[in-house]
Amino acid sequence: MRFRFCGDLDCPDWVLAEISVLARISSVKLKLICAQVLRELLGETIDVSVPTGNHASSQASALAVMCASVLQYEKILKLTSDAKLESGDVKAAIAVLDFILSNAAKHNVDGESLSSELQQLGLPKEHATGLCRSYEEKQSSLQDSLRAGSLRLSRLDGVSWRVDYALSSSELQEVGEPLVHLLLRVRHREHGEPEAVPMAVSAEKFRVLLAELKQAQALMKTLL
Amino acid sequence: MLLVLSEEQKAHLGCLPRVGGAAIGELGYLAVELLRRGAAPKACEAVARKLNAGVDTVQHGVEGLMYLLTESSKLMISEMDFQDSIHVLGFSDELNKLLLQLYLDNRKEIRSILGELAPKLPSYHSLEWRLDVQLASRSLRQQIKPAVTMKLHLNDNEDLTTQVLQTDPSTLLHLIQQLEQALGEMKTNHYSCMCRSTSVPVGLLTSCPRDPANSEARCYTASTVRFSQHLLAINCIGNVFTKQQCSML
Repeated sequence: MRFRFCGDLDCPDWVLAEISVLARISSVKLKLICAQVLRELLGETIDVSVPTGNHASSQASALAVMCASVLQYEKILKLTSDAKLESGDVKAAIAVLDFILSNAAKHNVDGESLSSELQQLGLPKEHATGLCRSYEEKQSSLQDSLRAGSLRLSRLDGVSWRVDYALSSSELQEVGEPLVHLLLRVRHREHGEPEAVPMAVSAEKFRVLLAELKQAQALMKTLL
Repeated sequence: MLLVLSEEQKAHLGCLPRVGGAAIGELGYLAVELLRRGAAPKACEAVARKLNAGVDTVQHGVEGLMYLLTESSKLMISEMDFQDSIHVLGFSDELNKLLLQLYLDNRKEIRSILGELAPKLPSYHSLEWRLDVQLASRSLRQQIKPAVTMKLHLNDNEDLTTQVLQTDPSTLLHLIQQLEQALGEMKTNHYSCMCRSTSVPVGLLTSCPRDPANSEARCYTASTVRFSQHLLAINCIGNVFTKQQCSML
């Protein structure tokens, strides 16, 4: 059986097995758990105050994300406490919801088809419609965050420049040459330090560079 | 097969008859702990004080015993051979029996510890990919040149390393075909006679465009489960390409 939300492939066996766990939770609770999973997928942090400071910021944000996911997991545990599920079942439910929602966004499946496919897999109707309604609300923001997280080799963090004018040198008394100093800050890894690439460009080369980049920008504009 | 013990090792083990039968059990335990967790000088000191012997003697005894046990477990020697090997040390029959019992009790565990010490190739962790189309470059406008960029995440002894690869679609389809053939080999009778969990070594020959003569071979292993996941990931890329190909070209 081919499913659109699995990318026109077979549904993995573990998903089939864990959908029965989802069916045991009430549809209202399922919608609340779904909302929590969506918040985690969108990377929204709960109110955890993060101290600002350059060197600590990346560590602090990583810690905040960890705290946020722990807090969300505890919230989910509280929600499922009266459904009498074991901790393994709760984790399985979170994993299945994560899989369904992120794959549906990945393959651009609309809410209706997702609902019918989930019902084919054995999820009861109210659960499927509730899940798909929450999915449809957040579909575009999910796809935006997935787009931002796609493979990217390196990123330009910033450009600084300076124009100098050489008046005189040991070789020639009146030089009169403008020179552009460029500093490109390139980030190779997501959370790494940006690498500084300095270069000095003479006036003619800079004119050529600018003309070519303007042509490339015009080409990009025709695509947008 | 007989174990050959050097003079130094015989001297180390020579302290064993002096400490007595009950202490052999303690020294044996220390020897296995040495293998499991590494040196424990405090435990050796405690045992030395209890047995009224020098710390050095106890330490040498433990090390000698550890060598005896690891060599015997490594070669998986039979009881007869073990007894013949330690006969040369000239111990009493009772001591020989104790040593044999120690060997037989701990053999399986020592073999599993030794099994983990083998060198490992970097293993597959995950694969990120991206399908790009080059529409224009500085030298040529109005082109269509699809390319797949992949970032291979490898786990090299707890270190996560990455390798970025780029390929055109026909090479990718060839890669998928080769990997599917490899997966197909695992379904043959010959393979199923072998033990159930083996790892699949994968070698990727990549060449740097700046230096085509120098190609780098990237080798990594993937367990059979991970290998099928890996293949599924690459197959997905293949599927995307065949869908887009028709609408673009």
